[in-house]
Amino acid sequence: MTVETKKYGAHRSPLQERSGLMNKLGQVVEAVEKYNQFVLDEVKRARADEGFGREVIDRWHETKSKTLVTHTPTGLPLPRLALPEIDEPGEIARYLFGDGLPGEFPFLNGVYREMYLEPIREIEAGSFGKNGEGGNAESKKRKIDKKKIDNQPKAEEPTRLFSGLMLAEDTNERFHYLTAHQRTHRLSTAFDGPTLYGIDSDADGVFGKIGEGGVAIDTVEDMVRLYDGFDLGSPDFSASMTISGPAPIIMAMYIAAAKRRFGPKVVPKLRGTIQADIFKEVQAQNETIFPTEASLRFLTDMVEFTTREMPRWYPISISGYHIGEAGSTPVQQAAYTLSNGFAYAEMFAARGIPVDQFGPRLSFFLDCGLDIEYIALARVSRRIWAIGMRDVFGAGARAQLFKLHTQTSGRSLIAAEFKNNLTRTAAELMLAYMNATNSCHSNSADEPFTTPSEEWIRLAAHGQAILLEESGIFKHTMNLLSGSPGMKAVERAVEKAILEEFREIERLGGVLAAVEDRFQRSQIQSAAHRYEQQIYDGTRPIIGLNRYRNGSDDIPEVKLTRTPRAKQKLQVDRLAKFKKKNAEKAKRALDKLADVVERGENCFSTLLEAVEVCSLGQIAGRLQEVVGRFRPMV
Amino acid sequence: MPSPIRILTAVPICDGHDSAINTINLEFIRHGIEVIYLGYHRSVGDIVRAAIQEDVGAIGISSYNGGHVEFFAEVVDLLRKHGADDIKVFGGGGGTITHDDVTAMRRKGVDQIFFAGTALSEMAGYVREHYGRPRKKRSPSKLRDIALARELTEVEDSYASRKRSTSNAQRPTSKGKIRNPQSAIRDPRVIGLTGPGGAGKTTLIDELVLRYLSSEGKGRIAILSHDPSVIGEGALLGDRATMINSQDDRVFMRSMATRGQAGGLSPATHDCLALLAQSDFDYVIIETVGTGQEAMPFQKNGIVDLTVLVMNPDYGSRLQLQKIVMLDLADIVVVNKSDLQRARTAHTEIEQRLEQNRRAQRLIDTVAKRHRDPGVDRLFDLISGKSVAAVYDRRNKKIRRS
Ligand code: B12
Ligand SMILES: Nc1nc2c(ncn2[C@@H]2O[C@H](COP(=O)(O)OP(=O)(O)OP(=O)(O)O)[C@@H](O)[C@H]2O)c(=O)[nH]1
Ligand SMILES: [Mg+2]
Repeated sequence: MTVETKKYGAHRSPLQERSGLMNKLGQVVEAVEKYNQFVLDEVKRARADEGFGREVIDRWHETKSKTLVTHTPTGLPLPRLALPEIDEPGEIARYLFGDGLPGEFPFLNGVYREMYLEPIREIEAGSFGKNGEGGNAESKKRKIDKKKIDNQPKAEEPTRLFSGLMLAEDTNERFHYLTAHQRTHRLSTAFDGPTLYGIDSDADGVFGKIGEGGVAIDTVEDMVRLYDGFDLGSPDFSASMTISGPAPIIMAMYIAAAKRRFGPKVVPKLRGTIQADIFKEVQAQNETIFPTEASLRFLTDMVEFTTREMPRWYPISISGYHIGEAGSTPVQQAAYTLSNGFAYAEMFAARGIPVDQFGPRLSFFLDCGLDIEYIALARVSRRIWAIGMRDVFGAGARAQLFKLHTQTSGRSLIAAEFKNNLTRTAAELMLAYMNATNSCHSNSADEPFTTPSEEWIRLAAHGQAILLEESGIFKHTMNLLSGSPGMKAVERAVEKAILEEFREIERLGGVLAAVEDRFQRSQIQSAAHRYEQQIYDGTRPIIGLNRYRNGSDDIPEVKLTRTPRAKQKLQVDRLAKFKKKNAEKAKRALDKLADVVERGENCFSTLLEAVEVCSLGQIAGRLQEVVGRFRPMV
Repeated sequence: MPSPIRILTAVPICDGHDSAINTINLEFIRHGIEVIYLGYHRSVGDIVRAAIQEDVGAIGISSYNGGHVEFFAEVVDLLRKHGADDIKVFGGGGGTITHDDVTAMRRKGVDQIFFAGTALSEMAGYVREHYGRPRKKRSPSKLRDIALARELTEVEDSYASRKRSTSNAQRPTSKGKIRNPQSAIRDPRVIGLTGPGGAGKTTLIDELVLRYLSSEGKGRIAILSHDPSVIGEGALLGDRATMINSQDDRVFMRSMATRGQAGGLSPATHDCLALLAQSDFDYVIIETVGTGQEAMPFQKNGIVDLTVLVMNPDYGSRLQLQKIVMLDLADIVVVNKSDLQRARTAHTEIEQRLEQNRRAQRLIDTVAKRHRDPGVDRLFDLISGKSVAAVYDRRNKKIRRS
């Protein structure tokens, strides 16, 4: 495969890129305010302008009468889409434009029409439009387009378990075990510490960390072993890789491994996600290895490549989870995540990648804790994202969607009387689904102690199934709970607060400038400190800790799966062999890579060559010689 | 008043969980403790070196990614190996550290572990109670860094106990403390950096250190860095966390809190500086707190050989420049952050201002945060009398600077 580096136009130096960039937040604020004003205007118009009013009412009735009826197990008929009981054109306009029907701009209620609804078994063309003139049921006796129904996005199976342990072959075995009886294979990969920090297993002082908490990956050969036996090009396979600092190098290894096994034609078929979110690393997760600007440049190089060559790949998962877990408030989490997202959009657009190409490949990852904001945090985020992308970036429909993965809060889970964590997670799951998240991960109750054990993982997964499959809460009717006065109140307050944060970041010169000023970090740290203080002064009740404490020390059996020394040594030995075998070629590949980076060109295709003969640490080390190392912020 | 308690905190290698330690740092500071924070993803070697140089009462480690039994034990062992086991090791890691682990860690010499759910004030109380007492007369150490570090502590403590007022900084350096009148001690060049808060002094020093380490095959460098604090209160001494190049055996670094003294230095600074200046270093670099530059922070005709004023291009109007006394006195004026838009204007305005002085002052533009910045190279050349560019060229012909 030949890669053309300049397809999207000339590259600017990072500094040039910086000066005019990453400051569209002000425009986003204006766009949202303008949109809100537009909604108010439409409300007025619907009331004042009879023609428009009728149009609105007609649309309302049509929607209602097209709504299918479902029967619950007890035989109760319910509409598959619940709508507010309003019949006044102004209010209808407020709903249709301000919130949007599920699957419609501005997507407050969801990016898709029928998020978690059960597939239809028995269909009644019906009319729930009680007060509809649309009572002329005749026209509503529609043919149901079977295909359309099958195409409904399905809820994510809760089987994408985050795993990674010891060496590549051990994780591979685990992957096979997890997917043994599944039609679709969705693997989620956790890397060990040295890999996350871009260092080799033979580096000073990391021996004991090899294969701990995740899988050790040093070379493309490890990557081949990691996914051995899986058909990487199959539409039923997808891989997710949770790594950001060295993400472009790891991505290159993944592609190279796929090519080794399936030939070059596999590349456009690869499906999956790599986290690669640099801003949140600098703000919260602390795994950046190159200076921020250089990291962003390598990221953009990768995104330029994947949007062109791998149309099914999600090259970045814009994550608020880590921000929230580091202790931010929910509003900070949403505001920083969204602003990071807009900054990426600006960066990618500045590189010349069309917004409608990269937009649909962006995905989001949020935290869901117990604070009341979480009832609407993702709803509001979805709306702001859609408006910003459409009105500031000129994005088309697919690029407006805030596709969301949610994880329940790990930090809310505590050691004291840890079984209460089941209830906490259940409540958080409920909140997450009320936000119509596209997929969700529920934490295990033994989260505070160690890598979760099978027993608690099962309970956590079943929590989701109980809510979505067993209970009737989410499977019969869309909008069952959205739009309550309380939820509306939270939505308004949260949106206002997010825009306020945007303004502050804008004042600081945009996301990159604010990041370099430590703005987000210091805000998160003070919020975290406040949170802990509130626990210990009792203003934040935590059951079993500062309230109703029974003093007993109930701790789950902590089974530590330590990586045996022999395995760690095996990894070091394999790496030594690889390095020895490729010594000559590696030198040349690294020189070439350094050269391309110095020249400011897209280095991703050179990276693809380099990973064939160089280890992760060799590449990261050489890149650091050229662009410097990340200077941590306090 | 006794000296504030000094402790070092850090997060182990390959671990970025810093939320707990950040909160704990803040809490310790609120309780009057001086916290030298080394940051996350830190090796045993870096932690022990820093603890020895800073001569802290204890090291607090926050570990979440597992392997804590071994990591804590390695820290204890290395301290012992260096004869610095009067430095205690304590820490926490939420629920990841179990009761059984703690038993094992205690056996290996770890002093205390705080479980998940411990109240913040309880931990601060423990530190005050256990690491606050003045340490017993310590047996002399053969390790030069330990000996030097302890002498620096004695100087600092003597100021605290004598309750000297700020004016004491002007008194002559105490000669009694000078150790080891060995023959071949080189005469280090003492370089003082000052300038407004956030101008980039720390970043610049760390970049100079990088150039020193790579251009000189041997020899050592000392850094004395300052952060503000109020008498009797705590302080966060965080420079080490950002100084990636200065975590090296060839660098001796000491962080000081100003303990109520205005002017950017601590009451004990000059005596400490005298000690360092008589030790075996090629250079001693001192960084003041970022404050106004109405006055010269360094003693006239003192130990400082070369004064560097680091400016931020965003100083405001030209009028502001007239008030900056340091512009008259500094040997080198650096306009850092010259990647910012205002830098060119700043350069011109400062140049004009310097012309009034009719002295041989040098003006240099730098971008300290940029890797291999040519401006920083020039500054290094000026200070060292060497050409760092030549060193690069020798080391790697391929690396070109743009
Ligand atoms: C917050 C968090 C994160 C955040 C960290 C944000 C940040 N900047 O700190 C994010 C989301 C980024 C994160 C990422 C990861 N995490 Co994490 N994380 C947690 C979590 C949920 C809470 C930890 C926390 O900060 N608690 C708040 C503090 C204030 O309270 P505390 O822990 O109870 O501590 C008390 C005392 O112990 C004491 N204390 C703690 N330290 C110290 C130090 C001193 C000196 C003193 C005196 C006292 C003290 O003070 C506290 C108050 O009483 C825990 C699970 C849990 N619920 O505990 C997992 C957990 C620690 N993470 C884990 C893992 C695996 C990871 C990842 C490796 C996942 C991956 N593969 O990508 C990454 C690695 C990140 C990295 N860079 O290293 C595992 C560790 C497993 C193990 N050791 O076996 C845990 C246990 C979750 C799990 N069960 O899997 N994580
Ligand atoms: N744009 C830009 N930022 C820089 C440059 N050098 C340093 N900085 C940033 O400026 C901030 C402050 O840098 P420090 O080196 O801590 O400054 P300081 O003068 O030591 O600060 P104090 O000790 O707090 O007075 C950091 O966020 C650096 O990343 C530079 O050349 N350009
Ligand atoms: Mg500084």
